[in-house]
This record gives sequence, C-alpha cells and structure tokens, in this order.
Amino acid sequence: MDYIIHLLIFISIYAILAMSLNLLVGYTGLLSVTHAAFYGVGAYTTALLMKFAGFNFFIALAIGVVIALIASFLIGLVISKLSGDYYALGSLGFNIIVFTIFLNWQTLTRGPLGIPGIPRPELFGFTFSGNIAYLALSFAFAVLVYLACRFIIGSSFGRALKAIREDEEALKCFGYHTSVYKLVIFAIAAGFASVAGALYASYITFVDPTTFYLPESVLLLSMIILGGLSNLQGSVIGAAVLILLPEALRFVGFPDTIAAQLRLFVYGLLIVLLMLYRPQGIRGEYKL
Amino acid sequence: MSILPQLIINSIIAGATYTLITLGFNLAYGTTKFLNAVHGSLAAVAGYIVFFLGRSFGLSIVPSAALGIFGASVLGVVIWRLVFRPLRHRGASPAVLFLSSLGVFTMIQAVLAILFTSQFQQLGNVGSPRYEFFGAVITKPQVIIILAGIFIFATLFILLNKTMFGKAVKAIADDEEVARIIGIQTDSVTTLVFAISSGIAGLAGILIGIDIGIQPTMGLWVFLEGAISAIVGGIGNIYGGVLGSFLLGFAENFGIWKISGAWKPAIAFGILIVFLTLRPKGIVRN
Repeated sequence: MDYIIHLLIFISIYAILAMSLNLLVGYTGLLSVTHAAFYGVGAYTTALLMKFAGFNFFIALAIGVVIALIASFLIGLVISKLSGDYYALGSLGFNIIVFTIFLNWQTLTRGPLGIPGIPRPELFGFTFSGNIAYLALSFAFAVLVYLACRFIIGSSFGRALKAIREDEEALKCFGYHTSVYKLVIFAIAAGFASVAGALYASYITFVDPTTFYLPESVLLLSMIILGGLSNLQGSVIGAAVLILLPEALRFVGFPDTIAAQLRLFVYGLLIVLLMLYRPQGIRGEYKL
Repeated sequence: MSILPQLIINSIIAGATYTLITLGFNLAYGTTKFLNAVHGSLAAVAGYIVFFLGRSFGLSIVPSAALGIFGASVLGVVIWRLVFRPLRHRGASPAVLFLSSLGVFTMIQAVLAILFTSQFQQLGNVGSPRYEFFGAVITKPQVIIILAGIFIFATLFILLNKTMFGKAVKAIADDEEVARIIGIQTDSVTTLVFAISSGIAGLAGILIGIDIGIQPTMGLWVFLEGAISAIVGGIGNIYGGVLGSFLLGFAENFGIWKISGAWKPAIAFGILIVFLTLRPKGIVRN
C-alpha cells in the first residue's frame, strides 16, 4: 500500500512537469529541452531555504517559483527569438549551464554530494510527514496546475499560442509580438516545473545535481509525446505510464545501475518509435 | 615561466579537435539540414570499439582504430537509413529530426554504459612521448590530432572542390529537389555523406580517447562542441566551421585560465548565446 502511495505521489509530481512542458511543446510548438533545469531550480531553492534558513515549505516554494521565473525570463529573452531545432539546442544549453551550477557552486549546493535532510512541509502546525498526507498535498498541487493550464489554453492568450505553433509568420503579420508570447509561456511553464521541484525535494528529502540533468528533460519529453501533445489528460497518462514502466524492470531483477541505464534506453527508444510510427502519441491533437 | 605558450598550445589542440568534429558535422548538416546529436554518439562508439578490441584481443592501436572508424561509419549509415531517412521522406521538421537524434543518442549512451560501465577509460599507452615547445608541453597524440585535422580538412577540400561527388553534395546543399530533378542520385550521395561524416566522427572520438579518455557520456560533449563550432562559424560551411572551432578552443582555454575548468561548458554556451543573439548566421554567412 505504501508503495502504491509512493508511486501516486511521483505520478502527481511528474504530471505537473508533463502538463507544464506540454504548454510549451504541445500547445506552442516549441521543443524545449530544459524543463529539468527549472524542476531543479525549484528543488534546490526549497531544499536550501528549508534546511539552512528554516523557511516554511510554502514560502520556499513561492520563492523557488520567483527564481524560476527570473531565470526563465533571462534565458527566454535569448531563445524566444529562435525556433525549431535552434530553439531546442539553445534550451538544451541552458539545462547544461544550470546543471554545471548545481555541480560546481559547491559552497552553496555541496556539489555532487547533494543536500540531504530536507524537512517535510508544515502548515498551521500540521506536518505532512505521512505519505498519505503528502499524496493529498501533491495531488492538490497537480489539480491546481491542471486547472491553471486549462485556463491558459482556453484564454485568448492560449489561442495565440496555438496560432504561433501553426504559423508564426502569419501571426507576426497580424501584428502579434510572437517572441513576447513565447517568452511568457516559457516562464509560466518554468514556474510550474519549479513547483514540482519543491514537492520532489521535500518528499525525497534529498536533492543532487544528476536528477535535474538532460536525461530527465528527455524523459519528460517522452512522457508528453507518448501521452500526446496538445492534450493535458494525455500528459497525465504519459507521466503515469513512464513512472510505472520502470517499476516493472525493477521486478525483473536487474541490478540498479543496469536498470537505470535500461530505463534511459527505453525512453530514447520510445521517442524514436513514436516519431517514426505514431507522432501524435496516445491522445495527441498535434504532432511536432 | 609564463603560462601563455601553454595556453596557446592547448587552445590550438582544442581547436584542432573541434575542427575534426565540426568538419564531419557540417558535411552532414549541409545536405540534411538538421542538428544531429548522434554525431557525438558515433565518436563514443568508435572510442569504445578501440577500447574493446585492445582489451579483449590485444589488437594494437592502428588496426583497431581503422575498425573503430569503419564501425562508426557503418552505424551512422544504418541509423540514417532506419531513422532519419524515413522521417525526412515524411517531411519531418528539423526539430523532429533533432528530437529523434536525441532519442537515438540516449539509447547509444545507455548501451555503452551497460556494456562498459560508466567509468572513465584510457585508450592506448599512457606514457606517450612529450615534446617541449617554447616552454610549452605537447604530447604525441596531440600532435597527431593537429595533423589529422589538417589532413581531413585538405581531403574534404579536394573532395568537395575537385570531384563530381563534391559537386553533387553542393547541389544537394543548395536545393535537394532541383538536384534530384537534374539527375543527381541524391539518396546515394546523402548515404555516402553520412558514411564519411560518421567515419570522421569516429576518428575524432578515438583521438580524444587517446588524448583524454573515453566515457559513455562523452558523446554529448562531442556533439555540443561540434554544433557550437559549426553555428558560431556559420552552419553548413566547412571553412566557417574551422574558424568557429578555433574561436571556441581559444575562448574556452583562455576562459579557464582564471576560473576552474569545470565551468568550460558554461563558457561554450555563453559563446553560443552571444552568437545566436548578435550574429545568428555565424562568422561566415552563407
């Protein structure tokens, strides 16, 4: 039972990541390969503020979101002018820079050692120490993010995003500053990813740089492509499938290091097969 | 003793290494027009072929390097035929091709890590001869890297400018559709381009393996240094690629003069970002 709750918590966290990435890749057509970086910004900010400054989880989470917004705004200024594979490469570069900072700013992040002993969240004297309570918390956040994404997609802003995806040049002719739209949605997605990071850090109570590196961004991309681009339910399905799938590998009984590599292999293979044979995934309304 | 000669030598070695990577990268980009992350994986694969042949069969470096280059070349063509060509036939965008290449890249890296562990491995004999040069030290493998860079550059120059194959490559780079209409076998030319560019990637991987060492994750660095050099130089242009490679080599080595070498990736991407904002078409505009 505890194991199932643990998996459900993970699915909630990854559903947040997948839905927010889908705003970028699925709805706006921007292939971002840096989502794990903002996930990491949220996780590290929460970890540092809670452990070393005694901040409340919810305040730390909010500050994490603000830092993710600032960071995404700065890098977004550069990459929002790009499109296609250049956008992808530019964003990938940012993921590597953030990873390098986590790894090398040792006085702040303790580098490869990571930060252990992050406390659990507390609200009005109640501590979310049990896993059921934590599931309720992360599920609530997932629902909030889902509703926020729904709202964004349904708004006129969301319609402009889809128009950018279909024909950015045409939209420019109508006088839309498309790079502003691309910048704003990039920042919004980063903010949500940072929320997921805060939930992850406080749940696992440990963060280290490798969790927020390129393979994680690739995993998130496989999730949303498998579930289907431009479909929020699809992202949740994709997150659930790819969280549960490696658990099957665990039961087969591979040693840990090999299982980790096999997982990566499967994520890569999944992307290639989907791109070749079913680019719209399970429920996608758009294919790259 | 001044550190300057050593910094310059190191920059030239890095520039020559990136030149090797970028030459192959640009050659393929010119005809296929997408950023191919698998280019880096092939360097790692060739490195591991040499490592495997040396460890298991005691094969010496020259024959095993030849087999490594051949292996990278064959694998490059197989991936082109199985993944990229079908996607391009369907009119996939460069972003889709890049994403798919990232998928293949992830698979290859995982396979290498499963077969050979994630450990850092050294290729060839460690205590290679060293030469002094105006107070700077350069090893024999590093001299070979510089010579290989010059050799591959000269060969490609002749191949592209003096042969029918070169003319066909240029025609496809200009406009694939028109090239096909006037009777160029675009499919076989592109396959050959992939074979050559993958082979060069393999050579680069082996030389890096002898100079520094190999690791399953090295493919990412090979791809990124190649892609950044190519974009900074003017993507698809092999001469621009050489300029970009040396610019990157000097910037990285002089950059880490004052700060730790661990920040090298940040310097490389800093340069990429500067170019993407200020001069997106690179030094040599096409």
